[in-house]
Amino acid sequence: MILSVRDLKVSFRTHDGPVRAIDGVSFDLEESEILGVVGESGSGKTVSLLAVMGLITDPNATIEGSIRYKGRELVGLPPRELRRLRGNEIAMIFQDPMTALTPVYTIGWQIAEQIRAHRGVSKAKAMARVEELLAEVNFPNPHEAMSRYPHQLSGGMRQRAVIAMALSCDPALLVADEPTTALDVTVQAGILDLVRKLRAKHKSAVVFITHDMGVVSELADRVMVMYAGRVVERGTRTELFSDPRHPYTRALLGSIPPLTGQKPRRLPAIPGSPPSLLRLPQGCAFGPRCPVRYEPCEAGKPGLGSGAHAAACFRVAQA
Amino acid sequence: MSEPMTEKDRPILETRSLAKRFSIGTRFSAEGRRTVHAVDNVSLTVRRGETVGLVGESGCGKSTLARCLVRLYDITDGKLLFEGDDITSKSLSELRPLRRRLQMVFQDPSASLNPRRRVGDLVAEPLRIHGKLSAKEIAARVAELFELVGLLPDHVMRYPHEFSGGQRQRVGIARAIALNPDLVVLDEPVSALDVSVQAQIVNLLADLQEKLKLTYIFIAHDLSVVRQVSTRIAVMYLGSIVEEGPAEEVFATPAHPYSQALISAVPVVETTPTGTRKRIILTGDVPSPLKPPSGCRFHPRCPIAADRCRSERPELKEYRPGRKVACHFPTLT
Repeated sequence: MILSVRDLKVSFRTHDGPVRAIDGVSFDLEESEILGVVGESGSGKTVSLLAVMGLITDPNATIEGSIRYKGRELVGLPPRELRRLRGNEIAMIFQDPMTALTPVYTIGWQIAEQIRAHRGVSKAKAMARVEELLAEVNFPNPHEAMSRYPHQLSGGMRQRAVIAMALSCDPALLVADEPTTALDVTVQAGILDLVRKLRAKHKSAVVFITHDMGVVSELADRVMVMYAGRVVERGTRTELFSDPRHPYTRALLGSIPPLTGQKPRRLPAIPGSPPSLLRLPQGCAFGPRCPVRYEPCEAGKPGLGSGAHAAACFRVAQA
Repeated sequence: MSEPMTEKDRPILETRSLAKRFSIGTRFSAEGRRTVHAVDNVSLTVRRGETVGLVGESGCGKSTLARCLVRLYDITDGKLLFEGDDITSKSLSELRPLRRRLQMVFQDPSASLNPRRRVGDLVAEPLRIHGKLSAKEIAARVAELFELVGLLPDHVMRYPHEFSGGQRQRVGIARAIALNPDLVVLDEPVSALDVSVQAQIVNLLADLQEKLKLTYIFIAHDLSVVRQVSTRIAVMYLGSIVEEGPAEEVFATPAHPYSQALISAVPVVETTPTGTRKRIILTGDVPSPLKPPSGCRFHPRCPIAADRCRSERPELKEYRPGRKVACHFPTLT
């Protein structure tokens, strides 16, 4: 077991009162497994992973629950210890590659610095490793690319450079937060291919956060669907896409226009918009938008249960 | 031979070899003054009541083309005709009466709505500028528009920040249709919205098109949304159209190798455990429009490029009624 998260809760104090961004999220991740986390803005998908990385440093934030990495508790670990893990055993990729790159140094220098910081090898050795890494992420001319500055690269190439940086220390866990959202589909296809290959080669476990159901269905082994800070459904890719159970998952899948076959005259849309975390509805957060809601939905929050394929819905529990 | 032109067939907007070039740098910069060929030799006909979808990677010139079509940019070369009338070089004052009939909706509704004004006021603004309506008539029209786009009457007094992204885009749409336009150019209107909200706006646009007999030019990077909305598709690459045809046909049987790669790259939800779709992964990046490649501009990335493609640029040719492709070796079905 690489990662085991239990009942994770993250709340922030704000001017308008306390906000619970994550409300009891639990999941496990095995070696070389890809977990897809799907959700819209405000669903808590990013915050839960920032918590795992120990990157929530806001003094107004409270983190409860347990995050175990290879059996070691991360919640409450001193920043020094966390820094030793981050970038080394745990690596991250974000939506905007420029959050991880500095514009004033070359790509080669930046990746080499990371290797030297964690591995203490000579500069020449680190540079040789950088060239290997850039070749691995399909830079056409890795040696030349090392002397490039980020602004000289396209968006897709920058994201590849960040992936090379993330892989530089053979991480056991790779967290990718919407890494392809800002890229064109043609470039995205290449990056997804790369993630698959790297998982096979480095045996890294991957948490892949996205809002795109298509991306998840192509990449993930297991999927977790989030809504308003809670996990509403989890299961293997096949379970989730061939037998979606939660009304939100079903509605979301239904509202995606098809790429082949007959066009529907109208798309089955979900009414309303995702709730503000400041004003969550009573009971089930999806209730006000749900086509099958009934009395119990307003009374309490449905639990996820313990099954491998589970949905947090009273209707599903009843059936 | 020629059948009489019906109202439906008459082009509402037409471009003939339209080009837009930007000049960048100064004579003092390292590379000197250079020219970006953002849109190059585009001839596109838009008929009344249809939706033409423009697709292509970022930097392919689709947004630049859209802005040229409503004359937000000056056109460098070629012609732009609105209902057969040449508007390529009309002055701003000559364009003003036309602006009413040509409207645009942008990607980010919060960037196009003034945060300090109430949304009712924002929707009323075009009515005040163009119309000769009394205050009472304007208020009635605003109420009518709010109902059309699915906003509540008491929303008029609110400020943009009080709305969700989807509602803000409804305000943007209400403003665009306030003057009963004929043509609306929609530049990524759903891209900034949450997935669960996109379908609502797509449906709203379809309803409005039917009710108000609108013609759309629709730009989005999400190909499945473009397919849903469009009757016709134009695929752009490096400033030019490389393929054109009815939306469902182009998606089912793309003729240009670039369209094939683009469509195959879209991730789709598949319930079968392993992907059955064949994926074409393009190597390399979109070349810089500062230094477009010789011959066919797609040849450096094309899986089937031959010698001819390096030297001779293929023209956009109609190979079947309604279907055009610019390729020496298209996949014809």
